[in-house]
Amino acid sequence: MTGVSVTAVTKSFGTTDVLKGVSVDVSKGEFVSLVGPSGCGKTTLMRIIAGLETASSGGVMIEGRDVTTLRAADRDVAMVFQNYALYPHLTVAQNLSVPLVMRRLSSWQRIPFVGPFVGDAKAKLAAIADETKRSAEMLGIGHLMDRKPAQLSGGQRQRVALGRAIVRHPRVFLMDEPLSNLDAALRVQTRAEIVALHRRVGAATVYVTHDQSEAMTMSDRVAVMMDGEILQIATPEEIYLNPADIRVASFIGSPRINTFPAEAGPDGVVRVDAHETGLMSAARGPVTFAVRPEDIRPENNSHDSRGIPAHITHVEFLGDCTLLHAETAANKTPVICRIAPDRQARTAVGEQIRLCPDPARSFLYEVNGKRLRTSQPSMQAAYV
Amino acid sequence: MSDASPAIALGSATSAHMRPRVLFPDIAAGWFLTLPAILAYVLMILLPLLGVLLLAFTDYEFGSKSFNWIGLENFAAMTADRTFLASIRNTVVYCLFVVPLSIGLALLLAILIEAGARGRTFFRAVFFLPVVSLTVAMATAWQYLLHPSIGPVNVVLRGLGLGAPNWLGSSDWVLISLGIIGVWDNVGFNLVLFLAGLTTIPRDLYAAAEIDGAKGAWSRFTLVTWPLLGPTLLFVIVITMTRSVRVFDTVQTLTQGGSNHASEVLLRTIYQEGFHYFKFGYSAAITLVFLAIVLAIMLVQTRLIDRRVHYG
Amino acid sequence: MKDLPRLAVLGMAAMIMLVPYVWMLAVSVKPQDEVFSASLTLLPEKWALIENYGKVLRTIPVLTFVMNGLIVCFGILFFQLLFAVPAAYALAKLNFRGREVLFGFVMLGLLVPYQTTALPLYLGFHQAGLLNSYTALIAPFTCSVFAIFMLRQFFKALPDDLIAAARIDGMGEFSIVWRVILPNAWPAMTAFAIFSVVAHWNDLFWPLIVIQKGDLYTPAMGILAFRSVESGDDYGVLMAAATLVAAPLVFAFLFAQRRFIEGVTMSGLKG
Repeated sequence: MTGVSVTAVTKSFGTTDVLKGVSVDVSKGEFVSLVGPSGCGKTTLMRIIAGLETASSGGVMIEGRDVTTLRAADRDVAMVFQNYALYPHLTVAQNLSVPLVMRRLSSWQRIPFVGPFVGDAKAKLAAIADETKRSAEMLGIGHLMDRKPAQLSGGQRQRVALGRAIVRHPRVFLMDEPLSNLDAALRVQTRAEIVALHRRVGAATVYVTHDQSEAMTMSDRVAVMMDGEILQIATPEEIYLNPADIRVASFIGSPRINTFPAEAGPDGVVRVDAHETGLMSAARGPVTFAVRPEDIRPENNSHDSRGIPAHITHVEFLGDCTLLHAETAANKTPVICRIAPDRQARTAVGEQIRLCPDPARSFLYEVNGKRLRTSQPSMQAAYV
Repeated sequence: MSDASPAIALGSATSAHMRPRVLFPDIAAGWFLTLPAILAYVLMILLPLLGVLLLAFTDYEFGSKSFNWIGLENFAAMTADRTFLASIRNTVVYCLFVVPLSIGLALLLAILIEAGARGRTFFRAVFFLPVVSLTVAMATAWQYLLHPSIGPVNVVLRGLGLGAPNWLGSSDWVLISLGIIGVWDNVGFNLVLFLAGLTTIPRDLYAAAEIDGAKGAWSRFTLVTWPLLGPTLLFVIVITMTRSVRVFDTVQTLTQGGSNHASEVLLRTIYQEGFHYFKFGYSAAITLVFLAIVLAIMLVQTRLIDRRVHYG
Repeated sequence: MKDLPRLAVLGMAAMIMLVPYVWMLAVSVKPQDEVFSASLTLLPEKWALIENYGKVLRTIPVLTFVMNGLIVCFGILFFQLLFAVPAAYALAKLNFRGREVLFGFVMLGLLVPYQTTALPLYLGFHQAGLLNSYTALIAPFTCSVFAIFMLRQFFKALPDDLIAAARIDGMGEFSIVWRVILPNAWPAMTAFAIFSVVAHWNDLFWPLIVIQKGDLYTPAMGILAFRSVESGDDYGVLMAAATLVAAPLVFAFLFAQRRFIEGVTMSGLKG
């Protein structure tokens, strides 16, 4: 059953179009990331799903119910904020209990001092205390119940924020860059914990981040957003191996994919700087040729004239691999090749090499972005 | 003054045995730089303060050649002095009137201003105007407004069939009138402080409250606004109370303590006793009472509430 | 429009707030008989602007009062900053024995309203023959513990590296204060400047005590004096006088609103 369904949502602030018709479905129990650079609209989309913003057009449905016009408090979503947004004057226990108190106790029962004596408030409060304790234990913060947020570390605060979200057993679980305020080591550790938590909760989870590695490692599906549009939404493998748009290819993957301005000649052969790439296309004219650093090999200049001539400008030894930066005539930005460390001996700065891309793993795009279909000529054996 | 060498400048990085040399340039510079301020402080604040302490226990009158130590007699005299007692009573009543009203109104207006995007600068400016307007001048304007016969306020009241009190002339109404002017004076100041406090509340907290189910304006106020305004509120209370206790300009301009000492206030009594009757000793004693009240306000407020209000 | 109720309430409150100003201006251009007719109309039937304002300008030297106000306020400000900036810097950035004690005195000073020291100060100035002088008006306020406190907070937030770099460049402490700290303290200083000017322009208590000579009257005293001259019969003229002396700061405020408000709020929330 679909947890969240976003249909053709647009959002404009004055004359600026922040979202230009976005649709995405997240199933119950699925973990979907919205990933993209700052300003791409991912946070706005999340806030529209949450009900904190209203869409200019389009609709949002949660578990089959149209919530487009409902405010956040009525939508039964839970959200973890980038800066946690914990109530600084309340203890951890109180912070965790706020969502339950606000929803289960009537206004009369919430009046300070006298509220707890009204009706069944006592019983409800006891149940709430129970549930918050359990959620706290699940997150490993059960021993911090009486502390205030100011007395907690960043990681602990984050758990309280998570706790406040899960204590309601929400249908939809929204997270807005929750890891961006943690230091690097803690981030990696917490990633796994969040995914584990997601599986226990079993809700539809939408996770916003600008860090593509976070999105790739945590999600069932990744939605790459840029300039207010979802460019591609697919599994991490699909996104990586089959990027549908040059912008997706450039954004996902580290180091960045190498792009070359290329020309699809009248014979259908794609060339970079008059050097054949091993790809053929039905398109004609200028195109963009893209290949990832691990799929392009530096060969000695002494080889025959295959490959694109380049000279090495920088070598980075990373331990498990080496990154070569090379400059070609065609490209202003350096091309990066990832090679196994044992090839170190043959590479030095200034050396002339020829770059040989693997056509089976290269991509071709229209200059403005869309993926083009390619085929390889039967002579491909010579390039492999 | 020394031009410290680089090694000494990076004081924190030096090892322990070098520390005495590190402090030397700082000590000289430190005292040298603070010297003018220290001199001014001693001359204009510290010594006079001691002077007041001494005077309070004498019967010195300005112009007389000698004086006697009379111990606590001044304070004893105060307890029997009708004017002084009226002064204390009036100052307290004035504070009780002005403080809650000006704070409550300012808070309400601040929340209203913050709640929307339009007109913020305009309204802020309008409400702040009294703070920068010469108090004596505006008091004069109020005098006209509150004039029993030709003042617009009474003209309107009479037109509505309600009574038209003698605002500044009658001993029943004078404190209230001064209080109204006081609230008018203070609202803008408090408003601006609340506005600044409101803007420090992270927007995310309101979003979190909404997600948690806080639907109405009242829920948002009790869950987020009120608790987070704590430090600001404390400050505003202290500031308003000390400003109110120091009321002088409006009284001196409009009523001179009348009618029948109904608007006599502490600072005016100090002024009268000291600079009209030239009873410096007695005036100094009253000054000490005044100081004690101000100190009490500041210390009690900050100690009692401070810890609960600051969240680290 | 959802905003309408909010704007309506604020609008009404604003109108009430402005009532004294509106009437002050309205009456200042009305002739005496119209004032006494107790009508609620704002505009006069016969404009007495020249008469009223003319009378004010003839009877009291408004310009002199404003000049005095400016001299006193800016004189006070000058010395306050002159003393407070180096002191605040020393207390914030330099490590020297006795620093905490000095700061303790600063905190003590914050608790004491200036009116408490009026009597001995008066005696002192009298002995020195300095009553009825600009010195008497300016000197008592030259040590502003509030300025020291506020500037110290601000300076503490300045990076230590800035000062370390200056020392490496060979600057002595004195130069550091005036060439490095001062330019960086601009926002705090303007905020304080406005706070100080407003406070002292409005001050009545102290000038009332030390000034008897008419040509040294500050604006507040000037109005008070005018009131006794006028004996409060011609409200039109009275309002004209009030308008004239209140105008300078009001205009300055309207011109530089943000600065004024910063000046006031800075005092509170950083502290």
